[in-house]
Amino acid sequence: MQDCHKSQKIAICMVGLPARGKTYISRKLHRYLNWLGYNCKVFNIGNYRREICGTECDKSFFDSKNEQATKARNECAQLALNDLIGYLNSDGEIAIFDGTNTTKERRNMVYSSLLQQCQNVQTLWIESICDDVEVIQNNIRLTKLNNPDYVSMNPEDATKDFLGRIKMYEEVYQKIELDENLSFIKLINIGEDIQIHKVKGYLLSKIISYLMNLHIYPRPIYLTRHGGSTFNQENRVGGDCDLAQQGIKYSQKLGNFLLEEFPSQEQRNQIHCLTSTMKRATQTADIVCNILKINYLQLKTLDEINVGICDSLTYAQIAIQFPEDFAERKVNKLTYRYPRGESYLDLISRIEPIIYEIERSREPVLVIGHQAILRCLYAYFHRNEISEVPQLDIPIHVVIKLTPAAYYCEEIRIKIDPETGDKKQIEEDLQITRINILTKKKSYILL
Amino acid sequence: MQQYKKTQYKLILVLVGLPARGKTHISYKLNRYLNWIGYKSEIFSIKGAQQKDAQLDQNIDYELEIDPTNQQFIEVRQQLSFQAAQQLVTFLQNEGDIALYNGLTSTKSDRQKLKSLFKEKLNLEFQVFWIESICDDPQVILNNINESKLSRFKEKTIDQFTNQIKVLAQDYQTLENTENISYIKLINIGKQVKVHMLEGYLCSKIVSFLLNLHANNRQIYLVRSCESEYHLLDKIGGDPELSAMGKQHSQQIGNYFIEELKGNKNITFFTSQMKRGIQTAEIVGDKLGIKALKTKNLDEIDYGICDGLTLKEIAAKYPKQIKERKANPLEFKYPRGESFLDVIHRVEPIIYEIERSRDPVLVVAHVAVLKCLYAYYHCNQISEIPNIDIPINCVIKLVPIPYHCLESRVIIK
Repeated sequence: MQDCHKSQKIAICMVGLPARGKTYISRKLHRYLNWLGYNCKVFNIGNYRREICGTECDKSFFDSKNEQATKARNECAQLALNDLIGYLNSDGEIAIFDGTNTTKERRNMVYSSLLQQCQNVQTLWIESICDDVEVIQNNIRLTKLNNPDYVSMNPEDATKDFLGRIKMYEEVYQKIELDENLSFIKLINIGEDIQIHKVKGYLLSKIISYLMNLHIYPRPIYLTRHGGSTFNQENRVGGDCDLAQQGIKYSQKLGNFLLEEFPSQEQRNQIHCLTSTMKRATQTADIVCNILKINYLQLKTLDEINVGICDSLTYAQIAIQFPEDFAERKVNKLTYRYPRGESYLDLISRIEPIIYEIERSREPVLVIGHQAILRCLYAYFHRNEISEVPQLDIPIHVVIKLTPAAYYCEEIRIKIDPETGDKKQIEEDLQITRINILTKKKSYILL
Repeated sequence: MQQYKKTQYKLILVLVGLPARGKTHISYKLNRYLNWIGYKSEIFSIKGAQQKDAQLDQNIDYELEIDPTNQQFIEVRQQLSFQAAQQLVTFLQNEGDIALYNGLTSTKSDRQKLKSLFKEKLNLEFQVFWIESICDDPQVILNNINESKLSRFKEKTIDQFTNQIKVLAQDYQTLENTENISYIKLINIGKQVKVHMLEGYLCSKIVSFLLNLHANNRQIYLVRSCESEYHLLDKIGGDPELSAMGKQHSQQIGNYFIEELKGNKNITFFTSQMKRGIQTAEIVGDKLGIKALKTKNLDEIDYGICDGLTLKEIAAKYPKQIKERKANPLEFKYPRGESFLDVIHRVEPIIYEIERSRDPVLVVAHVAVLKCLYAYYHCNQISEIPNIDIPINCVIKLVPIPYHCLESRVIIK
C-alpha cells in the first residue's frame, strides 16, 4: 500500500528528559519507515550541538540559567529544525526531530515553524516518560558512556555528570498537555501506560500501532532457511517440494544446536517458532520442534515469494522461455514482479504483520523461512537500504542469530554442516550483498 | 483455523461506562470482528440475560430502566448482570474463545466482584481486558441516544433518561491503575485514548482495531470488476483484461456513481492489482475524477493448480478436490492456492482502512474477496461466506449503523 498514502509530509517530534529512550525510538521508527519504503531521516539536536559547541560540555552547559549556553542550544535546535524543514520541502517524506523539546515554548516554536514553512505537513509528538531509576541507569550505561561527550571520562564521573544534566532539564520540564492541542502519544515506563490524543490518518495510525509493540527486553531472534530441498539441488524456483536428504540432516543438526542454546525445557517452551505453509519449511519445522518438544505456528504470510508463471522452472529455463523478464529482473530486482506473481516490494508489504509479531514478542523467536522472505526480514533488523534487499546473502544451512541491542542488532551467523553437525561462525559475504566495504560497520555506529 | 494464532488462554473483554457511551456499539463491532477473523466470540449482557430468562416480563427493557429510585428494577438488573456473568463462564468453559461482558461494572466493588467470580468459576487460564468508554461531549451523547435508544423508550423522554444518567454518574468510578487491571479508555470516541498494561497478541490487535472506530455513518460500495475475457470462456482465475462488454458496463457503473456521489471527491477508493480490477477502476475513476489505490490485498483468491481452467476441466482433472470443496467450502484450499480463510486474513488490513475512513468507501474487487468483505458487515458466521451472492454489474451499498448494517443493491443495466 506504499504508493498510495504519500500525500502528506509527516514530522515526528520526540519529547522527554535525557535517557528516556528518545533516540532509541527515533531510530527504530526510522528503520521501520525506511523499510516500508518511505524517505525518512532523523535530525538529532544533540549531534548538531556536538558539532557546533564541541563535546566538552559538562552539565552546567544545560543549566537554563546559563544564558549564553541556552542561546547556543537554541541556535543548534533552530539549525536542526531548518535542515528538517528543508528535507521535508524537497524529497523527504517523513522527518524525525530527535531532541528533548521539554518546554511548551520550544514545542510551540517547532510546531509553528513547521506549519508556516512546510507545505501540507502533519505532526506527531512522541513523549517518553520514565521514572524507573533502574531503567534510566541502564540506559545511561548502554548508550551514554560510549557517547563522544564522555569519551575522556571514567564511567562513574560520566554517570554523575549525566545525572546532573538530567536534573537541569527536570527543572524546566513541562509534560505535553491537552491544551497545547497537539497530536501526541505518551509512552510511560516503556509502554506500561500509553496515552494517545488526536491521532488520525493512515500513517500516523500505523506508527501508533508500531510504537505500542516496542519494548526493550533483549531476546534473540533466529532466522534460518528450510533445509536444502530437492528444488534447491536442481536450481529450480518456486514449487512446493520436499526436503532433500541433506535438508533433513540439517534440520536434525539445527534442532541439536538449539538444544544447546536453550539448556532447560522451560526455556525451550518459551520459543515462538514460526514457519510457512510450504512442505519444505514445515518438514524442517517438524524435525526441529520434535527435538525441542515445542509447537510451531504455520503462517501463509511466510510463504516464499510467488514466482507466478516461472514456478518450478530453473533459472536457465527462465532465461530461455522469458528472456525479457529475465533481463528486466536483473536490472531492477527490487520492483520486478513475476507475471502473476509477486515482487520484493509486495513481499515487504505481506510480511509486515510478522515484524509486528516479532517486535511484540518478549520471548525468543525462531523463523524457519525461505530466501526472499528472510532477505526482507533481515533487512528490517539490519537497517539495510531497501535497494539491497534482493541481493542480501542468506545462505542455506546457516542460522542467523540476531540480538537487538541499544541502537543496532548484534549478529552471529553459524554455518552448520548437515553431515557432521560441525558449527562454524561465518561472516556475511559482502561480495554477494554488494555493500561498499567502507560502510560495513554502519550498523555499529552509535548516535 | 489452525493457521492463525489460537491463544492458549480464554479472553474476557469487559465493557465499562455510563449509559449512552457506546458500550453496546463497541461490543457489537468487536464481536463481529473477532468472529470474522476466526474466533468463537459472544456477547453477554443484561439484555441477553433477560431474553434467556422466561420468568421475566419481556415488555420491560431492563437495560434502559436505570431509574435510581426504583428499588425493584435495581435488584432485577443486578440479578441479570450476575446471570450474564455465569452464562459467560459456561460459554468459555465449553467451546468459546472470547467473551464480551456488558453488565454492571460502574463501581470498583462491582468490578472486584466480577473478577472474583471469574477466578472462582473459571478453571482455565484466562485474561481479562477492560474497555472503558468515556464521553463528556453532550452532543455526542445526544446523538447516541437518538440513534440507538430512542426507539426503545416506551414512556420515557430524552430529558428523563439524561437526568437518570446524571444520578448514576455520581456513583460512577472510572478505571484506575490501582485496580491492577489491564485496560483501554476511549474518550470521546477515540479522540483521546489511554492504555494501561497492554499484554498479549489478541489485546494488541483489539486495541489497534478500537483506535480506528468512529461514529460517522458513511456508505461503503462494493463492486465486482466487470466482464472479462475469461468470463466469456467460462474460465476461473487468471489475469484477463476486460471484454468490450465489460468496458461498457464499467462506463455505466461510472455514470451511476456520478449521480450517487454528487461530485464528492473525498472518496476512499480501492482496487486490486489485477488487470480487470484496475481497468474497471480506471474507467469508473475517470468519470468521477478520482484515482484508485491499487493493493494486492484485494487480488482474487488464488486458485492454485485450478487457475485458468474451466469448471468442466476442473471437474475432469481434479474430482477429489471438487468433493472436498463441496464438503467444506469455507476451509477448502485450492492446492498451491488459497482458502477463504486465507483471503480473510489477507483482506484484514483493508477492513481496518474501511473502518478508519470517515469518507464514503468504494471497493472494486473480485468475487471471493468481496464475499469476505461483505461477510464482515453482514454475516454472523463465516461459514455463510461461500454462499453469499455477489452478482456482476451490481453495486452493493452498505451503510453501517449502530447494531446493524443497511444494505441496498442496484443492478446496472
